[in-house]
Amino acid sequence: MTADSFLFWFLAIVTVTSGLSVILMNNPIYSALSLAMTMVGISALFITLNAFFIAGVQLIVYAGAVMVLFTMVLMLFDLKHEMQAFVKGKFTGFIKVASVGLLAGLLVGAILMSVGLFTEKTTDNPVTFGTGMEATKALGRILYTKYLLGFEALGVLLLVIAIGAVALSRSKGGTHEH
Amino acid sequence: MNISIITDITLAHYLILAAVLFVIGMAGVLLRRNVIVLLMSIELMLNSVNLTFIAFSKYLGLLDGHIMVFFVMTIAAAEAAVGLALAVSIFKRFKEVNIRFFEHLKG
Repeated sequence: MTADSFLFWFLAIVTVTSGLSVILMNNPIYSALSLAMTMVGISALFITLNAFFIAGVQLIVYAGAVMVLFTMVLMLFDLKHEMQAFVKGKFTGFIKVASVGLLAGLLVGAILMSVGLFTEKTTDNPVTFGTGMEATKALGRILYTKYLLGFEALGVLLLVIAIGAVALSRSKGGTHEH
Repeated sequence: MNISIITDITLAHYLILAAVLFVIGMAGVLLRRNVIVLLMSIELMLNSVNLTFIAFSKYLGLLDGHIMVFFVMTIAAAEAAVGLALAVSIFKRFKEVNIRFFEHLKG
């Protein structure tokens, strides 16, 4: 077993275990910590796929900013009676678990069936296999030329979201009358 | 069982891992009632999609998948901000963040 495959299996076990504990933990704080662990594992998986810059962004944006946002909001709440917040009802729960299992089977089956269709990789693009600097340079270049419009639109979106979040949290509880 | 399935890591391994993570996130969305945990499950699903993008990007030798991951990350951050603001406003009204209070959101 080479180092690459060992790393992949280790990271796969870590991410799947912490991903499962996100949805199985009773306390939302533990869920948030498990989600942070999952983010770190996925960031390491990005490194095994030679996406160094994306891995750094993943660590900063997700494991840093988004998770801090989640934990700060959790600390604003008093969640003592929210501990066991799973769905009620055995029957609907069973249907939901069955549909999730069906989707999992479909996805994995589709991937396994189409494995033969993936042709052997012919384009070993030096950009994605370099030491990291070349890939990051090329990434910046196409981000500011080919995808410039989408980049600017994302800037506008973030401005709208910042204003909207402030306006939402200043409102006094939605559309209900007091 | 063939040993090369374990030792040779191919595209399909990453795709199946991403599919499993996506399904875990979907189970969380369906089974949990806490709005915060629901948002976390959505983040998990978005992350698994990112993993698929990067895996295909390396397989095809193209950088466009990385750009898509940028866009998905920005959308996910925006979605988390709006969702948490909604959760705060629901908590201010009902002193709880259970999803069943969304049923009262009419008129």
